[in-house]
Amino acid sequence: MSLTFEEFLLVLRVASVAVLYLFILQVVLVARRDLRVAAVQSFSQAANQVIGHLVVVDSGSAPLAPGSTLDIVSPTSIGRAPINTIVLESNLVSMEHARLFFRNNSLWVEDLKSRNGTFLNDQQLPPEKPVAVRPRDILRVGDVRFRIVP
Amino acid sequence: MQQAVKNVFDIRRYRWSELFLLIMPSLFILLGMLQLQLISAHNNGKQFNQINLHNLPAVDLYGPQLLLIVALFATHVALSWLVPNADRTLLPIAGMLASIGVLEATRLGPDLGISNLGIKQLAWVLVGIGFCIATVWATRSTRWLRLYKYTWALVGLVLVGITVVHAHNISFDSPTHDQLNLGIGGLVFQPSELLKLCLVIFYAAYLAENREILADAAPLKIGNRTFPIRVPPLKHLGPLIIMLLVSLLMFVVLRELGVALLIFGIFVSMIYLASGRMMYVWYSLGGFAVGAVIAYNLFSYVRDRVAIVSTAFDPGVATNKGYQIVQGLIALGSGGILGEGLGLGHPYFVPAVQTDFVAAAVGEEFGMAGLFAVLGIFMLLIYRSFRIAIRARDTFEQLLAGGIGSIFAIQTLVILAGNLKLMPLTGIPLPFITYGGSSVLINFIMIGLLLRLSSPAESGAE
Repeated sequence: MSLTFEEFLLVLRVASVAVLYLFILQVVLVARRDLRVAAVQSFSQAANQVIGHLVVVDSGSAPLAPGSTLDIVSPTSIGRAPINTIVLESNLVSMEHARLFFRNNSLWVEDLKSRNGTFLNDQQLPPEKPVAVRPRDILRVGDVRFRIVP
Repeated sequence: MQQAVKNVFDIRRYRWSELFLLIMPSLFILLGMLQLQLISAHNNGKQFNQINLHNLPAVDLYGPQLLLIVALFATHVALSWLVPNADRTLLPIAGMLASIGVLEATRLGPDLGISNLGIKQLAWVLVGIGFCIATVWATRSTRWLRLYKYTWALVGLVLVGITVVHAHNISFDSPTHDQLNLGIGGLVFQPSELLKLCLVIFYAAYLAENREILADAAPLKIGNRTFPIRVPPLKHLGPLIIMLLVSLLMFVVLRELGVALLIFGIFVSMIYLASGRMMYVWYSLGGFAVGAVIAYNLFSYVRDRVAIVSTAFDPGVATNKGYQIVQGLIALGSGGILGEGLGLGHPYFVPAVQTDFVAAAVGEEFGMAGLFAVLGIFMLLIYRSFRIAIRARDTFEQLLAGGIGSIFAIQTLVILAGNLKLMPLTGIPLPFITYGGSSVLINFIMIGLLLRLSSPAESGAE
């Protein structure tokens, strides 16, 4: 089968439009697979769902009652600034001190370059490097100590 | 770093779908270049007959445009290192749109008498891809974007201020498109492109801090009576409105109605995204109506633009003020369903086809089918942006992703509706496809931001 020049150009023209539509199809397939994965994950990380609690062990200089319980949602930010989820009115706590969030079936804590550091079981966390936490770990933010409970 | 190495070589986690999605843009560039080379060889008198599998036309396919394919795959490798879990579809989508842009510029250049138009566009796309990777790298933490919000606002305003002064010095009466560019050492730069990025970052950072106040607007109280209207807390809206008004004013002075519309659109979408209250949309639309009436009565060029929508084909208008839009519609019409084929139409009859009317060129040569496909790709881009916004880690990142999605959506809508004579034509780039360096650059930076925002916490948290 031989084609004239015009027929060959027609083939090229149809092919390039077809390539555009094949591309759309591929992207839609990838997007659909993402939605399925998301549907499975959304059970474990729905927005504003309480995924754990912080029990105040030592309130330090913050006006908190020892033994009181705070909810952890994903994400929960801790700091002195009023925009944080958990506001700690203590001079040893930075404006944006630390952050807790849920990812891949575990709870992570991340220090946000705080002045006085965030400690997990008395180990200082490296700044902006999330670390996974386990239940009953002790989290220290400035001079406030929490126990993480499910 | 070890984590990154581990991720790159982890077969299950490798970005296979991105690699797979990059095949189609590459194929599209190859097909387009083959077509363009064939036609230029044919126009030079070469005869092609009896084409079959054993007798394929021998043309030189090697053009610098193939560098784009190399760059896309190189970016894929870089992203596998930097953000192994980021969205897989953004790079292929941006690559596909950018390759349409490069092919259009390559095709239109010789007919417009600028033979290196394609190479220039290609160079900007390559620089843009470089900036995209740099943005992904530089925003490992997005906190600095949020903390320096007033710096971004200031940068945007200073840039626009310089442009106004610059345009004013040349001629206040009729600034043309070229005068709205800033020249820095031979390079020409459009400040409005950078302004929109600065605005989105500023709005996202400001609204992330004040969204609760804006969402709980108190009902109007006069004396003891309470009215069922809610008043926006003007004190907290202040910085937003000042930024909006100053940018709008500058662009109305410069006669850049498209940019003014884009800025206003960003404001309305972001305040709605942040507060979730329709109240702000109604107030903004009310303000828009008032502003539109004032602008219509004050400026003759606004009246002209609006009048053209209904009178473009009238005798005397079609050859004068409506010439561009009429030629654009004729180009679209002559494309038909499958188009004339790349390089076979006459899109260069439309004035400013490579910038304002690139959609007409796509529509003429790829047809309605091709133009719809391009629209579909834009829809996917916007869908992915808003999806990234939904899944983002905090309010700032949510609003930033949503704002970037809104920019892409508004720009596509405004320029396409203008080209199709559905609303007054305003010069604003069609993202990635329109010829122009700063537009391509900023679009790729926005893709870089989206890639970063779509990537879950790095370093072990994946």
